[in-house]
Amino acid sequence: MKFGQNKKKKEDSMKRRDFLKVSAAGVATLVIGSHLPWLGVKDAFAANQLLEITITDAVKEMVTHNAINTAECYFWVYSMKADGVQVPIDCPGPTILAVRGETITIKITNALDENHSFFIPGRLPGEPPIFDSGPILPGTTFNGAFTASQSGAHLYYDNLNEPVNRVMGLHGALIIRPAVSSGLRFTPYDNPTPHVQNLFNDFGNPAVFPGLAWEEGDPATNTPPFRTYVWLTHQASPRLFAKVQRDGPGSAIRVPANFMNAFLRDPFSPIRQNNIPQYFTINGQSGFFCHFSPGITPMGRVGEPVVVHMLNAGLWTHSMHIHANHVFVTSVNGEPSPNPKWIDVYTLKPMERVDYTVPYMRPPDMANIRGIGRADAPLIGITSLQPVWPPVEEFQVHLPALGQTFTLAADNVTPIDMAQRLSPLCYPMHDHSEPSQSAQGGNYNCGLISGIYFIGDRNIPGHMNFPMDADFASMFRNIRGVSGIAGNAPVGTVPAPGPRP
Amino acid sequence: MPAITNNDIIQPITANRITRWSVVGMEAMWGKMFDPPTDSRPSPDQLLPTNPVPEVMAAAGLRNAPSIPHTFKLDLLHGMNLTTWDSRPGGLNFMLIGDPDSPVASGGTFPGPIVRVPRGVVYHCETQGKGPPPHTIHWHGIEPTPMNDGVGHCSLEIGHYVYQWQANFIGFYFYHCHRNTMQHFEFGLYSALMIEPPDAYFATQVLGVPIGHCRDGFRRTAANLAAFPQFPNFNGNLLTAADPWTGDVTKNQLLAFATDPHAMTVAYDIEALWVVDDRDSRWSDMAKDARQTFPRFGSQPGINDEFTQNPGANGFAAFNDFNADYWFVTGVPVPAHVGGTAEIPHGLLVPPEINSGVTGTQISINAQVGQTILVRVLPASFNSVKVTFPMDVVIIAWDGRALGQPPFGHNEAYLVPAGTPIDTGTARRFDALIRTTAAFSGAATVKFIDTRGQNVVGFEQVVMTALIPIHIVGPIVPTGTVAINGGAAFTRSPSVTMSIASTTAAMMQFSKDGVNFFPFEPFAATRVVALPPGDGLKTITVIFKDAANNVSAPVSASITLNSTTPTGVMAINGGAAFTRSASVTLSLTVADTAGVTLMQFSKDGVNFFPFEPFAATRVLALLPGDGLKTMTARVKDAAGNVSAPITASITLDSTAPAGTIAFATPTTTSASAILTLTATDVNGVAQMQFSKNGVNFFPLEPFSTSRTVSLVMGINTLTVRFKDVAGNVSAPISAAITRTL
Repeated sequence: MKFGQNKKKKEDSMKRRDFLKVSAAGVATLVIGSHLPWLGVKDAFAANQLLEITITDAVKEMVTHNAINTAECYFWVYSMKADGVQVPIDCPGPTILAVRGETITIKITNALDENHSFFIPGRLPGEPPIFDSGPILPGTTFNGAFTASQSGAHLYYDNLNEPVNRVMGLHGALIIRPAVSSGLRFTPYDNPTPHVQNLFNDFGNPAVFPGLAWEEGDPATNTPPFRTYVWLTHQASPRLFAKVQRDGPGSAIRVPANFMNAFLRDPFSPIRQNNIPQYFTINGQSGFFCHFSPGITPMGRVGEPVVVHMLNAGLWTHSMHIHANHVFVTSVNGEPSPNPKWIDVYTLKPMERVDYTVPYMRPPDMANIRGIGRADAPLIGITSLQPVWPPVEEFQVHLPALGQTFTLAADNVTPIDMAQRLSPLCYPMHDHSEPSQSAQGGNYNCGLISGIYFIGDRNIPGHMNFPMDADFASMFRNIRGVSGIAGNAPVGTVPAPGPRP
Repeated sequence: MPAITNNDIIQPITANRITRWSVVGMEAMWGKMFDPPTDSRPSPDQLLPTNPVPEVMAAAGLRNAPSIPHTFKLDLLHGMNLTTWDSRPGGLNFMLIGDPDSPVASGGTFPGPIVRVPRGVVYHCETQGKGPPPHTIHWHGIEPTPMNDGVGHCSLEIGHYVYQWQANFIGFYFYHCHRNTMQHFEFGLYSALMIEPPDAYFATQVLGVPIGHCRDGFRRTAANLAAFPQFPNFNGNLLTAADPWTGDVTKNQLLAFATDPHAMTVAYDIEALWVVDDRDSRWSDMAKDARQTFPRFGSQPGINDEFTQNPGANGFAAFNDFNADYWFVTGVPVPAHVGGTAEIPHGLLVPPEINSGVTGTQISINAQVGQTILVRVLPASFNSVKVTFPMDVVIIAWDGRALGQPPFGHNEAYLVPAGTPIDTGTARRFDALIRTTAAFSGAATVKFIDTRGQNVVGFEQVVMTALIPIHIVGPIVPTGTVAINGGAAFTRSPSVTMSIASTTAAMMQFSKDGVNFFPFEPFAATRVVALPPGDGLKTITVIFKDAANNVSAPVSASITLNSTTPTGVMAINGGAAFTRSASVTLSLTVADTAGVTLMQFSKDGVNFFPFEPFAATRVLALLPGDGLKTMTARVKDAAGNVSAPITASITLDSTAPAGTIAFATPTTTSASAILTLTATDVNGVAQMQFSKNGVNFFPLEPFSTSRTVSLVMGINTLTVRFKDVAGNVSAPISAAITRTL
């Protein structure tokens, strides 16, 4: 049975949920109001009454940090409590979800040494802000109320001393979902353009994009409705951010022009003795921790369209290239697209908000009868003698080959085979302006990357689930909270991803 | 506040610490993410390749015959150093893609060989990482299985591998190495990839059209231009509509498709390829090892992995810090330094050997007014790009997806007015159409915009501006000649054949009055035309149109239509009834619109002598033997009309009459006497004349059977000659009588 907007209110409501292993899914998710989260995570924090925010700071271990290599960065952060429960601190702040119309009491305390704010601009330029605390003096608390007044993806941030306070880490994403459908089908917008509305109407249309509509879920396959992801990008300069802290209030480096000049235009140094950013993050994570997080990387089936809200809190422009599916750009900077292009890469400039709507169609360049991008009958493999979709021979491939132990597990006993089964189907999303694909000036694949997984094809009779690699199953179960997928044997329990031992 | 001890390690005001996540349970995935091992595997789910391009190129002598049928080959190579436009010491280090089956491109080219593939075929590319691996090829925008997607941490680092996919969308893509991409892509391991209409290349094999052209003789790409009728030869059929050629057994099966291969495509005359790239010479100097800054997993994954491996010269580990100082347009250097502006040369073309056989792809544009120009723009740069055209353009596609293509096209092609910048960035391709109505000479500007510090308000730092020349001349109008019936002055039939010649015309249209024209039709060397009714001078006017829709001045030819047969009357010997001589003179009096030019005769009404030039009189010999003779004539006018037979008759009479003469008595006393005369003749005796002395004859008088004559004393001898109606005169005969009193 599918469930979606017609679901009974009782089923849609939730109690306050404990934070369970969600830190490995990206930034924490914080739901305002009584709706289920619709990100690809099992659990989230819920605030029905009170959202308490503390503006403070933290040191973060970045992607390449380990016992023999220091990779830390200082940030200013929004620390949040949901109805009194502390949400894990991170940069960026928690991703806040709300259905349009929800209201909550908000308290904001500035624990840092300069004025700071909590600001959410209006959806479009020139519109009044959705929320504006104004300057909050050090050591003081702002009291107010927040109402989720406009649907779409918004950046919350400190708009004082722009862009210093924001770039230092005081930012996060706020996603407001419409409470009512804008047309035949829900869109993420209050005022979709005709093309955008028609696109969402076509999701689940067997003649165009067979499968589920965006608003439709399916409990039988653990598929949530309103499948939504956030890719909030940022760039971090450990040297500059340290200097900002070290030099203190009123220092020259905190003057926006000086800060930007250092961040953007410091002279080249082959060994990074400059203030150019060295870490490039999506939702605060880079490389492996981003690509293999089901809270960041969509992991769905053919026929399960998703919306990805991209926001850039930093000062560099990214070219966000996604593999395996062309995506529709359905909104740019709060404005539903009059002419939503179907693209594989789009530019995300500083402070831009761009929505990728991923049809999650069968990757179209799988060989098929007509070869015109439709879900036609696949051609027959000459060795497999089976249809080439689903790719049954590739599902059996392990790369590298099975049997090559490359190290021992943390217990120093269990051999670890690097072999990864090529199922489910794994594809990347990455910034094609490749200097951001680095960490600490090198280490390709440790930069601004996420991905897209195909874990099945719901348009194959029986809603086929693809076989599942063991590492993937471990991660998928522990982070997404799905204990195995129908049709796959349960995988043995392994430690959950979390802080390193 | 705690003391700060050095530049990098800081202490927070609070004790907040955000720990890095564990990789326990995912160690293998973790290791493979940043250090995927090289491997070589057979392609799973393998299909027979059907790509015709290697065979077409080999047939044209542009490439060696493929060692594996229908299979391309590409090698990823290292260690190339190329000289810069300003002869920079050390040049620039490149990694290149080579085609081992190509005499021209086996050593690598920058960019690599351009790959074109018809939509719908199974594409195989045997790929090797040489010098040394690991490498991959990612077919950017093509969406196959992970192994064929060419991203190592998701699947396979080569090694050796045969990539396999079937492209489903016509459009503009590219390909590049996806290993250490920030370095390998920057150092040149990329090129353009076009998915062509499905009949491209097959049409060359079957119909012999130039490489890259479709079966209708046009080059085409996907577009929905229903709203932009200024672009001719748009095919608006639905993608899923039936192919008009399907089932046509007269066409080779290679050209029979399940759907119309021209659905939602537009024809273009000129293709221009702008692959814009930027390079950082510091990276070139310090980080030319293809494995620069590769991390390695440690003995305890997630705990002691080595992230400071293999730095470059001067300790280089700064792939985060890109500062472009050299630029290229489709491999052509832009001669400018940072902050400068420079134009690339005019007249640059992509050689067919590295263009999948296609001839004429331009870099800088030379075109004619009225031609459809397709500009394909691919930023291979790391910086953003802003392209400004000096004329209106219509954007028909982004990233290999035509705008407005049902059923997926929830979007539409759109006009970008002249002078309006088009924002794009790394890897964001677009296809733009140009068609001007006036000549133009200038350039498009391509601004490279620093990715650092742009904002939505519009601030941008221009790093360098490249100018790409655009020259549009003309219109070069087509010319031609026409003739009617090979230049004849007259025609009897209103159905005439036009002979038409033009070296540039693609279409033609006709007018019978010089004012109203019939619709354009495909050019043909001959055309049968019906003249307007009624005899007289007729003029046919033709206008030619070339493929770029340039139209010629009117060209005309004339002919006189004469469909009326001549008439005439004939007289023999001026209409005489008889002739003594077989040689008679025929007199012809004719009437005709255009003038009689020929005549011919028959003596028996059946067999005619050949036509001879017309003359008003003609002497001819009658058939021998006395009797009634009928002569027949036919006359022919300049248009070839032949008259009905014209006849005239005359009686040939060459026999003299015969007769008698006698007096009633031998003597008489009277002063007169009566002669009794008889005479016979076939046609009748008409006259007679007398002589009294046998020498001098009296005038002819009508024949009579009696004649009173006066007598002198003595003997009177009277001689008579008879003359018949034809003028034959008998021999004289005499009779005598004596007067006695």
